[in-house]
Amino acid sequence: MPKNNLIAVENLQGGYGTGEDRHLVLDDLNMTVRKGEILAIVGPSGCGKSTVMRNLIGLEKPWKGRILFDGRDIHKTDEALSAARRRWGITFQSGALLGNLTILENVMLPLQEYTSLSPFEIKLTAYEKLETVGLDTLGASYPMDISGGQQKRAGLARAIALDPEVLFFDEPSAGLDPITSSRLDNLIIKINKVFNTTVVIVTHELASIYAISDRVVMLDPLEKRIIAEGQATDLRDNSSDERVLAFFRREDISKRG
Amino acid sequence: MVSEKHTVEILGTTFIFQGILEADEAHLIESALAKNRRDIIRKKEVTIDMSDCSGADTVAAVVIYTFCREVKQKGVKVTTIGFTADLRNLFSSFERHEQSDPPEKKDISLRRTFVGIGEMVYELGKTLKGLNLFLFDAVNALYTLILSPRKIRWRMVFYYMEEAGLKSLPIVATLTWLMGTVLGYQAGYQLKMFAAGSFMPSMIGYSITWEIGPMLAAVLVAGRSGSAFAAEIGTMKVRQEVDALKVMDFSPFDYLVTPKLVALLFVMPLVVLVADCAGIVGGLLAGGVFLGMSADTYLHSISLSLLPIDFLWGMMKGLVYAIIIANTGCYIGMRVRGGAAEVGRATTGAVVYSIFLVILADALLSLLFVHIRPGISI
Repeated sequence: MPKNNLIAVENLQGGYGTGEDRHLVLDDLNMTVRKGEILAIVGPSGCGKSTVMRNLIGLEKPWKGRILFDGRDIHKTDEALSAARRRWGITFQSGALLGNLTILENVMLPLQEYTSLSPFEIKLTAYEKLETVGLDTLGASYPMDISGGQQKRAGLARAIALDPEVLFFDEPSAGLDPITSSRLDNLIIKINKVFNTTVVIVTHELASIYAISDRVVMLDPLEKRIIAEGQATDLRDNSSDERVLAFFRREDISKRG
Repeated sequence: MVSEKHTVEILGTTFIFQGILEADEAHLIESALAKNRRDIIRKKEVTIDMSDCSGADTVAAVVIYTFCREVKQKGVKVTTIGFTADLRNLFSSFERHEQSDPPEKKDISLRRTFVGIGEMVYELGKTLKGLNLFLFDAVNALYTLILSPRKIRWRMVFYYMEEAGLKSLPIVATLTWLMGTVLGYQAGYQLKMFAAGSFMPSMIGYSITWEIGPMLAAVLVAGRSGSAFAAEIGTMKVRQEVDALKVMDFSPFDYLVTPKLVALLFVMPLVVLVADCAGIVGGLLAGGVFLGMSADTYLHSISLSLLPIDFLWGMMKGLVYAIIIANTGCYIGMRVRGGAAEVGRATTGAVVYSIFLVILADALLSLLFVHIRPGISI
C-alpha cells in the first residue's frame, strides 16, 4: 500500500440480506483513501454508497475482499476492528445521539470510556468540542429538544471528541436546508484543515461535493463498482462517461433522444 | 348523460364522448357505460367514439379500459374511434401492467392453515434458539462484570431499578392484595362448608408465597418493563443509536442489556416479597370480614404453616423471572429491523414471550419445589 494511502478497499464484494434474500450491491470494488484528503463517495440512489460506508466502518462484513486501515485488515479480528474504530469518528444521517443523555453527556461518553481524564477535564474537553461545532450553549439539552441540523452537529462533536484520524460522514446534508447544509460543509472543511483529519463522506448533494471534496469516487448501481474517480469539477467538465456527466450535470439520461 | 365537464351520447351500441373526462366524474362515465350493456353483449359489438373528447385523465381512462376489457371477455368486438395518441399510450400501458401483474395464487385454506402453523412453530423455535444464545451472552457478561464490578454502569442500574422495581410496587401490591382477598374469601367459603375454615390462612399462605405472588409480580413486571426494554432498544436500533454505540467500540450488550439485567436481578426478589406480604394481608382482610377470623388467629396460623423457605423460594423464582424478562425484552428489542411498526411488534412480542417463558419456568420450578421443601410428601 503506498505510504499516503490510509485506507485501501480491495476486491470488495458486499450487499445486504441473508440466505435467499441476499442482494449483491458491490462487486469487486477497489478504492483508496489518502491521508488528509476529503473523499466523497457519490452516485445515484441504490448504487451502494451506504453499503460501502457500512463495510468501511465495520457494521457489515465484506462477503469477499478486504479493507485495510493503516495496512491492517480491519475485519480479520475483533481486536483489529476495535483498534481501528478508536482512531475513527463516525457520524450518522440522524446524528444517532443517545436519547437518554444530554448533548454534553453524549460528547463526554467516548472521553469517559477511552481516556484517563478526570471528570472535570472530560467536561471541559466536551465543551470545547461543542464549541467547535457551535453548540456549547446547548450542552444541557436533550437530543429531542434540538433541531435536526443541531443533532447532526452534536453527533459531529461526539465523533471528534477523541481527535480521530479519520471522520466518516453518512449523508450529512440529508434533510437539511441549504444554509444549514452549507454551515456543516464549512465545519467539515475546518476540521479537515485545522486538525488534518481525513474525511470520507457519502453524499449525493452536488453542492456539498463541489464545495468540500478533494476527490470523488462514483459508484454505479448496474456495474456495482466505481466507474469514475477524480476531482468533482474535472469529472463534470471532462468525463466522457454519460452516467458521470448525467450525475454531475443533474441530467436525466433516460430522457435523452 | 350530461355533466358539467363532459357528455356521453349513446346511440345503440355506440358511445360518443364529448368534453373532458375527469376522475371526479368517473362514476357518471361508469353508469353511462353500464346502460346498454345487455344490448352490447347480445349484439357482440361496441364502439367508443372519442373524436370530440378533448382529454381524459388516468382514472376516467381506466374506467373505459375496464369496460372494454370486460365486454371483450364476453366476445364483444370493441371498436375505438378518435383516440388521441396519449389515450392510446395510456391504454397500452394498462394492458402492459395487466400482463406483468402476476395473478394472485389462490391458496387452499387447509394448506394455508398448515403453512401458517408451520411458520409459527418455526418462528417460535428460532426465537427460543436466539433467546438461548442471548442468555449465554448475558451469563458471560454477568460473569465478567462480577469479576470487575466497576465496569457496571451503576447510574443506569439505579435508573432501571427505580423504573422496573420501585414504580411497579404500587400496582403489584394492590393486585396481589386483591388476589389474596378474593382467594381468602373463596377458599374460606368452601372450607367453612366442611367446618375447615381455620385452614384458610395456611392455604392462602401457601398459594400466595408459592405461586400467586411470584407469578403475578413476574407478569406485571414483564408487562411494564419487558415491553419497555424491547421498545427502548428497538427505537434505538431504528434511530441508529445502537450502530453509533458499535462504531464507538462500545459493546451494545454491556451498555444496553447488562444494566437492565442487573437492575431486575436486584429488584425482582424484593418485588416478589412485597407481593407475598400484600397477598397475605389481603387474606387477612377476607378472614376478618367474611369469616369473622381475628388477625391474631390468622397470623398465628400463617406463622405455623409457612417456613422461611416459602418466602425465599418465591424470591429465588423472582431471580429466574428477572433473567427471563430482561433477556427476552432486550433480545426482542435487538432483533428490530426497519421502522416504527417493527418496534410495536417487538413490544407485543416481548410481553407474550416473557409471560410464556415465565409460566414455563414456573411449572418446572414448582415441580422441583415439592421435592425440596420439608414437610411435603408425595
